[in-house]
Amino acid sequence: MLRKEYNDLLTQTDPGTSMGDMFRQYWVPALLASELAENDCDPVRVKLLGERLIAFRDTEGRYGLMDEFCAHRGVSLWFGRNEEGGLRCPYHGWKYDHTGQCIEVPSESAESGFCQKVKLRSYPLIKVGDVLWTHMGSEENRPPEPAWEFANLPPEQTYTSKRWQECNWLQAMEGGIDSSHVSFLHSGSLKTDPLFKGAKGNQYNQNDKKPVFEVVESDGGLYIGARRMAEDDHYYWRITPWVMPSFTMVPPRGDHPVHGHFWIPIDDENCWAWSFDYHPTRALTDKERQAMIDGYGVHNQYVPGTFRPRQNKDNDYLMDREAQRRGETYSGIWGIAMQDASLQESMGPIVDRTKENLVSTDNGIIMARHRLRKACEALRDKGIQPPGLVPEHQQVRSAARVLPPDQPFKDAMKDDLTVRPGVKQTSV
Amino acid sequence: MMDLKEVFFDPNHPTLLGSCARAATAEEARFRVQYPNSRTRSSRIFALDAGAAEAMYAITEDPWNGAHFLTLVDRGPVDPATTDARDLPLAHPDGTSADLTEETDGADVVVLLATSGDNEGAAEVIAREAFHRHIMCAGLALGSGKSDASVDRVVNSMRRFATVLVVARDNDYIPAMLTALRA
Repeated sequence: MLRKEYNDLLTQTDPGTSMGDMFRQYWVPALLASELAENDCDPVRVKLLGERLIAFRDTEGRYGLMDEFCAHRGVSLWFGRNEEGGLRCPYHGWKYDHTGQCIEVPSESAESGFCQKVKLRSYPLIKVGDVLWTHMGSEENRPPEPAWEFANLPPEQTYTSKRWQECNWLQAMEGGIDSSHVSFLHSGSLKTDPLFKGAKGNQYNQNDKKPVFEVVESDGGLYIGARRMAEDDHYYWRITPWVMPSFTMVPPRGDHPVHGHFWIPIDDENCWAWSFDYHPTRALTDKERQAMIDGYGVHNQYVPGTFRPRQNKDNDYLMDREAQRRGETYSGIWGIAMQDASLQESMGPIVDRTKENLVSTDNGIIMARHRLRKACEALRDKGIQPPGLVPEHQQVRSAARVLPPDQPFKDAMKDDLTVRPGVKQTSV
Repeated sequence: MMDLKEVFFDPNHPTLLGSCARAATAEEARFRVQYPNSRTRSSRIFALDAGAAEAMYAITEDPWNGAHFLTLVDRGPVDPATTDARDLPLAHPDGTSADLTEETDGADVVVLLATSGDNEGAAEVIAREAFHRHIMCAGLALGSGKSDASVDRVVNSMRRFATVLVVARDNDYIPAMLTALRA
């Protein structure tokens, strides 16, 4: 249970809200780099943290992210012409550069300097990995560029996708740190999904449906350890890192690529579920990459030409009760990503947490909410910067390992949970 | 690649707003049945040492849903092999003595609070009683201002007994967790 005032605090991210201010401290993923693939390409509408923006890449390759609407008459600049170093409104020809500065008002004399007085709000847009990131907070508090491992590897080792999820960011993110649902909701996919199946660890998942949890605070967020029985009284540990505010990683399986997510608010009732896969020491195979494109693992299929999942609330997520009865899927929904998304969206756009009945195994979620609230209040009331901004906090990995019963994961797996360039992930 | 459209999708399948997943809107949320969907839980919170008791006493006056707060009375180390549940020295916040078997009778959740690793024996007695009664046992190690080694000692003292073990850096987590659990 979470009190309404705290639920509101954590779920509202529009400008002027406390959580919105907190999200604006971070570099957040805004677009796939492929959405602005070349100079003078089509502009893209972007909505982030309740702000409608337009992204474009100018003639010189500079990325711009600014207020979607022309300062003149409020026309959407999505209709604009991306040409000769700026985005020109097609209505009366006002033109803006990548910083949002108006650089031409054709109706006014160039010598008047009028255009200098017009500037759209803009945010930096930088390419790190195959993602374009933005920082929507003040320039003086701009953190170092994103240091996440997945975004800083050669392109042949990574794959990133994003999908529109039709619910608040927090309930989506909470699914990412809820280890106990895997043995149920994803049990069918563990046996069949090409990016999951075949790992020894899957057997432990299947055989022990009552994991024991350890939740440990880290400097940047949490480590959530789920412990299941292995052979000889040893424990199979799966460790999920969470870095504030919304980065999670899935513990790896075998030599499959490692995957994880960002959950970024579009507005209070929608979010982007960013999903990445990477292998720290080798290129993804053609089969692996194709499986990701085909929607396996943490990825999904799309309504063509959109980032909306092909399985969505308009078609009941293509529920297949027969597949459920045959044991191919636990919920009747195909694909790990949509198994999660379908249930999270079914909660409603912003789940009413005053009605929930958490149990002690939900302590990862409880602690994450607690830390988010504390960080949010510390920023609001004292101006203290939240955790997760500095590269050291971002140098985390998920890990899975079998340990003797007397070894705490936090010590025994310390190196496994830290990025080590050139060293492969620790997995079972 | 699985072709979902061919395998699953029936374009003639009727999907009315109120009878399909599209009903997950804010407008539809107001039609959710309003009623209390759970009964009051019986939560038992045990402070295993003086530091944990101090942190616990700071919140016992808050309006809880019937949670019982209990402290271990310091009479030296508890040997779990020779200590029966009824013999564990426990006290209510007002100083009156408490009986572990009575306290755990009908309880839904047991929470162990510890700031030191000194009372592993007592933790075992409480956890053993909870286990016999099929009660979920959670451990909360409070690490405020403590070294890693010191926190490890606290955690190790509870690891064998807790189904969930949380290491919290600040004592504010106690009320946050208990509120979340409807204690």
